[in-house]
Amino acid sequence: MALLQISEPGMSTAPHEHRLAIGIDLGTTNSLVASVRSGEASTLADENGEHLLPSVVRYLENGEVIVGTKAQAALGSDLQNTIASAKRFLGRAVSEIKTLAGQLPYDFVETEGSVPQIQTCAGNVTAIEVSSEILKSLKERAENTLGGELKGAVITVPAYFDDAQRQATKDAARLAGLNVYRLLNEPTAAAVAYGLDQKTDVDNKVIAIYDLGGGTFDVSLLRLNKGVFEVLSTGGDSALGGDDFDHVIAEWLLTESQQTATQDEFLLRAAMLEGRRAKEALSDTAEVDVSLGEWQGTFNVEQFNALIQPLVKKTLMACRRAVRDADVAKEDIAEVVMVGGSTRVPYVRQLVGEFFDRPPLVDIDPDKVVAIGAGIQADLLAGNKPDSDLLLLDVIPLSLGLETYGGLVEKVIARNTTIPITRAQEFTTFKDSQTAMTIHVLQGERETVEANRSLAKFALRGIPAMVAGAARIKVTFQVDADGLLSVFAEEESTGVKTSVEVKPSYGLSDSEIEGMIRASMENAKEDVEQRRLREAQVDADRSLEALDSAMAADADVLLSEPEKQLLLDARVELVTAKNSENADTVKNAIKQLEKAAEFYVARRMDSNIQQAMSGHNITEFES
Amino acid sequence: MSIDFKQNYFELFELPQQYEIDKGALATAFRQLQAAHHPDRFASGSDEDRRVAQQVTSFINTGQETLSSPRLRARYLLSLADVSFDDERDTTSDMMFLMSQMERREQLEQVTQSDDPLDAIDAISSEVKADYEGLQNAFEEAYDAGDLEEAKQVVLKLKFFERLMGEIKQLEEKLEDEV
Repeated sequence: MALLQISEPGMSTAPHEHRLAIGIDLGTTNSLVASVRSGEASTLADENGEHLLPSVVRYLENGEVIVGTKAQAALGSDLQNTIASAKRFLGRAVSEIKTLAGQLPYDFVETEGSVPQIQTCAGNVTAIEVSSEILKSLKERAENTLGGELKGAVITVPAYFDDAQRQATKDAARLAGLNVYRLLNEPTAAAVAYGLDQKTDVDNKVIAIYDLGGGTFDVSLLRLNKGVFEVLSTGGDSALGGDDFDHVIAEWLLTESQQTATQDEFLLRAAMLEGRRAKEALSDTAEVDVSLGEWQGTFNVEQFNALIQPLVKKTLMACRRAVRDADVAKEDIAEVVMVGGSTRVPYVRQLVGEFFDRPPLVDIDPDKVVAIGAGIQADLLAGNKPDSDLLLLDVIPLSLGLETYGGLVEKVIARNTTIPITRAQEFTTFKDSQTAMTIHVLQGERETVEANRSLAKFALRGIPAMVAGAARIKVTFQVDADGLLSVFAEEESTGVKTSVEVKPSYGLSDSEIEGMIRASMENAKEDVEQRRLREAQVDADRSLEALDSAMAADADVLLSEPEKQLLLDARVELVTAKNSENADTVKNAIKQLEKAAEFYVARRMDSNIQQAMSGHNITEFES
Repeated sequence: MSIDFKQNYFELFELPQQYEIDKGALATAFRQLQAAHHPDRFASGSDEDRRVAQQVTSFINTGQETLSSPRLRARYLLSLADVSFDDERDTTSDMMFLMSQMERREQLEQVTQSDDPLDAIDAISSEVKADYEGLQNAFEEAYDAGDLEEAKQVVLKLKFFERLMGEIKQLEEKLEDEV
């Protein structure tokens, strides 16, 4: 069978068919979808012309789900049921979420499984489900715009996303009904968007991606050689972004206006908003008028730059570290790509340019650049460009290891190792006749178990009883091209093999995902059924009303008593059917009533015509 | 499309089986192999195609990592010559070497007290790198002369240096965080 399937890589079975594929930038604050149309990659707009979809999902009591701008509008009024920044919760435990995001307005439920749930009026939802609603919305937008069925999608994730977070992202995509070609690192997508793989003068050079968003900062170094991108290193700060710029201006405003906002949330918010306005204005002008309450003043570029300098310097420290991790010299860096809305600030561009000693690339809208790159890669993976030799190689962002004696961690795969990778490590028993062994999989750079993140823990049983040190237990780590880990363990000295495959915690199991997909399909089916029933009931009411008003008007004149009884019987039938909760029963009863009333309708029409004609005549006579 | 998993990494990348390595040639061969076998090439292919691709690229990646690292490459050459390593027990007994390692560690501990810790650490770092390169030359000499036992001793010393360089890096990161 395999012999019949030999084909060259990149060659699709139907080479002339254009497959619809999309790239999605699933962002913390905003999400976008892009696709290649007529050879050109661009982001797709919704029916209102908006490209950015706020990553906000609101759940209503009747089960309706609202995504985007409308949901965002409810953040002020219906906070508990309106989930923003779900990306921060993906692949995390409740305890981690609380430390990550400080005080959150949501009620988290720790479940028996591993995925934390948020309580809403429409029931409990996971961050995976919330993200899948965003993806569904973008998928629909793409299907409507592109006019066809999507073959696959590329979804971007931050380069630092760990295994659990990548798994959760992929789960969300599956739940949204997307076929995921690949999870792509955001910085790599940005480099692809600039077509750096096409530039010969960049070949075999290093590219730096500086991504300063609203709440996060990431820097990545990529090497490009003959169309192959390698992520050399990544770094950043998950709690530093443009919002911090607003914050320092807000503090300045409060100090200058001699006000304190510690007790006054409204004042603090006003200061933040004014800070943001001033920041944006200073991208185009040297000085801006500012006010806070009664207070008025001016704020200029020099003051702004001085305020944000420590923050920008912090990002440059992370850049320095990324350069060292990549084991390259700053001079090797050929291009610097700017990503994220906060890179619109001229001073950021200036300092980044000075650090890398070259002007950064800023031509593509920094909000859209990642989605555009993902769209290009999706088009490629769909097989629409069999001649392209672009290939994206990734590394794992964090080391993977096992717990060993004394609560220490032995690294099995070091961070920045190119993936996919498979690596085996041998262990042995330390007690005579030991028949089981606990295998604890950890992620992180620290030496002790507590300081790292626990991904999975499982027991390997059925080890044949032997003296200590005789058993040979081989633990194999396998990381695929998306950065997802599987762990296998087997005892191989006696040929008795036991092996276990684990999926990391904080993701969903395959059966859980299937269950959710099935539930959502059943819900959808139920929704359709509900709608049909409601429509039938409305029709029934309309029929009943028509009959009642007709009979009230002329039943006594046009109908005999048995005829009247016949119609009233049919009426009772319909009223009963209407309460049956079954659309078909209702529709049937409507039909029965209509059939029973046929003769009456005919008689009424005749009588109406006679009346109309006679009436008509009378009017004519009188005029 | 699979490859021969029995070939050694030098054969895989079509490089001569020796310590000195042409990094450019390794990088080029690595990328060519990746371009042909990476799972992305089979994104719309069958599950089996992708599984095979996963295994093949894992092999390629491990090979590239082994040949790129000065210590792993040295160790790999010895393993091809049937010199085995016992990670639990093997260690160097060269007292002079151990003394110099301790000295380096003491220098590192004093870095935080210096006026410009980042400069101080940069200085230590470049000295350590020079010594590390000296050891690599020593390995090459022993290996080429067929003194595999001496070559093994050098590999064990290289491991000490890797740990030391790891510590330098950690300290650098810590200092940068404090800035």
